[in-house]
Amino acid sequence: MYPLIRLTATAWTADTVNALLASTLWQVVLLASVQAMLSVGLSLLIGIPIARVLFTYQFLGRGFILALVTIPFVLPTVVVALGFRSLFSDSIPNGLLLVVIAHAYINIAVVVRLVGAQWSTLDRRMEVTAATLGAGPMRIFSTITLPALRNSIVLASAVVFIFSFSSLGIVVVLGDGSGTRTLEQVLLRSTSVLLDFPTALAAAILQLIVVGLVFVISARVSRHEPRTKIILERARVRGPQAAFVVTATCLVAVTLVLAPIASIFWASISSSGGLTTGWWSGLSDFDNARIGSPLEALGRSVGLALFTSVIAAILGGAIAIAVMSRKAIVATLALIPLGVSAVTLGLGILLAFSRGSLDLRGTGALIPITHALIAVPIVVAMATPSLRTVDPRRYFVALSLGAGPLRAWWTAFGTVFSGVMLAAGGLAAAVSLGEFGAATLLSRTDSPTVPVQIARLLSKPGESAFATAAVLSVILVVMTMSLLLVVDRIASRRVFT
Amino acid sequence: MSDAGLRARDLVIGYETPLTQPLNFEVGPGEILVVVGESGCGKSTLLSTLAGVTLPLRGEIYSGDRCLNDVPIHKRNIGLVFQDPLLFPHLSVIDNIGYSLRASGQSRDEARARSQELLDWVGLGNIVNQKTWELSGGQAGRVALARAIAAKPAVLLLDEPYSALDSPTRMRLLADVKNLVGLEKIPTIHVTHDHGEAQLLATRTLTW
Repeated sequence: MYPLIRLTATAWTADTVNALLASTLWQVVLLASVQAMLSVGLSLLIGIPIARVLFTYQFLGRGFILALVTIPFVLPTVVVALGFRSLFSDSIPNGLLLVVIAHAYINIAVVVRLVGAQWSTLDRRMEVTAATLGAGPMRIFSTITLPALRNSIVLASAVVFIFSFSSLGIVVVLGDGSGTRTLEQVLLRSTSVLLDFPTALAAAILQLIVVGLVFVISARVSRHEPRTKIILERARVRGPQAAFVVTATCLVAVTLVLAPIASIFWASISSSGGLTTGWWSGLSDFDNARIGSPLEALGRSVGLALFTSVIAAILGGAIAIAVMSRKAIVATLALIPLGVSAVTLGLGILLAFSRGSLDLRGTGALIPITHALIAVPIVVAMATPSLRTVDPRRYFVALSLGAGPLRAWWTAFGTVFSGVMLAAGGLAAAVSLGEFGAATLLSRTDSPTVPVQIARLLSKPGESAFATAAVLSVILVVMTMSLLLVVDRIASRRVFT
Repeated sequence: MSDAGLRARDLVIGYETPLTQPLNFEVGPGEILVVVGESGCGKSTLLSTLAGVTLPLRGEIYSGDRCLNDVPIHKRNIGLVFQDPLLFPHLSVIDNIGYSLRASGQSRDEARARSQELLDWVGLGNIVNQKTWELSGGQAGRVALARAIAAKPAVLLLDEPYSALDSPTRMRLLADVKNLVGLEKIPTIHVTHDHGEAQLLATRTLTW
């Protein structure tokens, strides 16, 4: 909380208030809101049909497709941006359309998971009843299904809006510099280029206000009625029409998800002269004083990810245990950074640790601290529900059999706790590997992380810089996916069994 | 008012394997055919098939002279009441009842007038705008019945409705059903495992 308190306390100056009232910032709010609303619309348009197929039908490969549509959400944003830039290099210029498409790509998983979860509990006899009352498929969808899914659609829209509104990596790489600006971009530029702290603080405060407002509005729009808690079996695919719908939707989903990733891979092995492995073999030789060595950046990012996973697991684990003991205030405080953007958090860290004995600016510790702060809430959110699945009476049984308090606690909770810490640590490492906003703000010129270096490479002209960025992106994709695969295995085998 | 009955000819129901021998039956206007059988014998599948949710393995279903086999659910003009009332939670009581009327193109005012008439008939004229989840089980059952018959269906299918309610309430509701389908002359098929219920309601009984 200290960085956020410091940020808020520093903000109350006349200069910041003037910056807050300036029309340029409000123009950015307007532009980013329009962009975010379009992103929400496209995400829903693509995500809802996929959610319907994946959560109301049972078919071979369903789990695989569900895992596949989750991939874009966990990919580093600059990697996604590079994928779309590579895919549409000739057909769609940088600007609003490309930004909206990339945001929809990242957020399909949010819509599919949230809306699908509610869809799977929707009593389908309601739709049958409506059909017997004379409603056709479209009328049933608009008058029965959509209202029943309203809360999850509202929640998904709020989450996608916030992600798109506070986007950085995508708008930096795919934006046109004026019509696609976000407050994150203003914040970053004001802090690291213009050294205009009042404007940066005003942007951070505005960002927090908009995020808060969106959540308040979404809570008010949601319908508060008793939920029917039924989990229905998914329907088997019967008849040619259902088979066509399921097959076509799955094909579209697979193509949508894989096209940008395939495009990055293709860019890493091709040149104007044809196929080549030169970009890969030349990675160690690539040298540019203003960009730095790619291999050093890789080493730095991996080290940072390891540090983040260890710190996040230790801190997050301790908080999860405190939450188990019903210290709800601890959980609430630990989860607050989830609603704050990475750049805002980075700015808070910068302000908090830049004075007197707490001046850490030259130590290289600011990025690890920020990444840990970003990852801790994720660990808490993951660990708390898992620990609550353990029957606490096991602890008392162990005590009654003569175990000391620590041993009894470990006997009761140890298996679940160690599993969830491994899984959450892996997830924290994946988050750190792909984090772009705070790293851009806090990186020194000579020590960028991989996502920062990819963005720098993309700002340079020439085939070599683009292809090297593609090679780094492929490595980042493989590392992120491997980590998530491990997390998934641990989670399914050790934590929730 | 319905003047054509429902007829099944050599109807075989089931999902992959037949659940019954070929069925032949007919139910006319104002009649209540009660199908009695143990759980799992295919009673609900029969109603699913008649409603168009499940395809028949063989045979034909007729409404008057019109074969329904290839007619989609929403064009069969069938009223179906499940074991649970399944009221639409985002609509008020009166809009639940008027749903079929709105779907058939009637104006909001016309739908409301007919719904009010039915609500009065089932003794719930004072809960027009109440939330559906605030209703008691008996009230919800009455609303579900009123909703199913609002558009004067060609046939009414009742899948063990009200079986979750206490016995006195259930008997009162079944008496309502009998009066209402008699008044509106709606051919009705009611499935149950309860022989007492069959005796109370049936014009004819089909036992499996």
